[in-house]
Amino acid sequence: MDIEIKINEFEGPLDLLLHLIKESKMDIFDLKIELITDQYLDYINKMEQMNLDIASSYLVMAAELIEMKSKLLLPRHEEEEQEEEDPKEQLVNRLIEYQKYKDLTSEFKELEEERHQIFTKSPENIKSYLEDVKFVNNSEVTLEDLIEAFKKFLERQKESRPLETKITKKEISLEERRTSIKKILKEKKRINFLDLFDVITKEYVVVTFLTILEMARLNELLITQDKNFGEIMCEGI
Amino acid sequence: MNKEAVLEGLLFVVGDEGLTISQIKDILELNDDEAKELIISLKEKYEQPDRGIRIDFLGNTFKLTTKKEHREYYQKLIENEETNNLSQSALETLAIIAYNEPITRLMVDEIRGVSSREMIRKLVAKGLVKETGRSDLPGRPILYQTTSEFLDYFGLSSKEDLPKFDMMVEELTDSVDLYDSKYKEE
Repeated sequence: MDIEIKINEFEGPLDLLLHLIKESKMDIFDLKIELITDQYLDYINKMEQMNLDIASSYLVMAAELIEMKSKLLLPRHEEEEQEEEDPKEQLVNRLIEYQKYKDLTSEFKELEEERHQIFTKSPENIKSYLEDVKFVNNSEVTLEDLIEAFKKFLERQKESRPLETKITKKEISLEERRTSIKKILKEKKRINFLDLFDVITKEYVVVTFLTILEMARLNELLITQDKNFGEIMCEGI
Repeated sequence: MNKEAVLEGLLFVVGDEGLTISQIKDILELNDDEAKELIISLKEKYEQPDRGIRIDFLGNTFKLTTKKEHREYYQKLIENEETNNLSQSALETLAIIAYNEPITRLMVDEIRGVSSREMIRKLVAKGLVKETGRSDLPGRPILYQTTSEFLDYFGLSSKEDLPKFDMMVEELTDSVDLYDSKYKEE
């Protein structure tokens, strides 16, 4: 038998089956599974010989058909038959259902053709009528826009950040401070108490104050005040 | 202010997006009857043979279209006759969705006997089909339905205008016979 192979003309295994049924002038309600299975497999084999890629859906259908055919050949138990839905009937129903839509497509094609005979135009751009241009129409902002904006923001952040930063905590000991105050007193002899607090950090102030008290105790430094609320002066001894 | 003239301008501005009857009512501050009257009156004027445009009701909206009678002249404008009609598989898929919506992709696959993943993606991109929520089935698959652009594409006013199924095949099955006879009784 000569079969013309035109695989691209079929939309799928159901379409191919309908074609084969029509070719062999079979009644769809009186589907001869054995005959149609042979024809279907024949077709698929021919496709394979021509090195055509066979979509997996065609192979699934082939397997279903073979299963149906093999069941027909086996002796049947009547109980079983009643419980299970007849796969042949299922296939027939699927084919009829598919045929229904396939037939409709020609009507849609006609409608499409008819509609193509008239033209419409795209909507006008009436954005200039928008009263407040500051607010962007919500529908105009897509997720991509937001992602893009955020990326730009991250870029800018990267640029404004210093290339390298070092965070250290400077610790000052009483001893260090005592050495530096001694040095100051040696140079200046007399210094305003407040001038010793040249750096205003909690630590520095505390350490400096403690150092001064300590030095006074050790008689290394003399604290004088001329009058109440007057300036406190520190003198080296 | 002549509201008919305003309506004409509005229809021009919205183009193929069209105007719904409620938009016409809102913009022109009309009630239902007044709006219908206005559009009918304008439509009648366009129907005159000395006009090249008419008002069509497509995809549930009113829009200005050219007249079918003049198609041969528009065809002269088109230089290469490249038809960008929908493919057979696209038509099939659309038909299945239109008559069963909302429908999951798997159900479309089942009826067609092949995977429709790519096709549905294309139809969504064309604006003929859209997602419309999720099914309660396991995995909560996406439900699809046709759009008003779909109706317009086939020159249909609303879903009621969809072609009716050819009953010839179905009448042969018992179940449909039953359905039909019941239907006749009512």
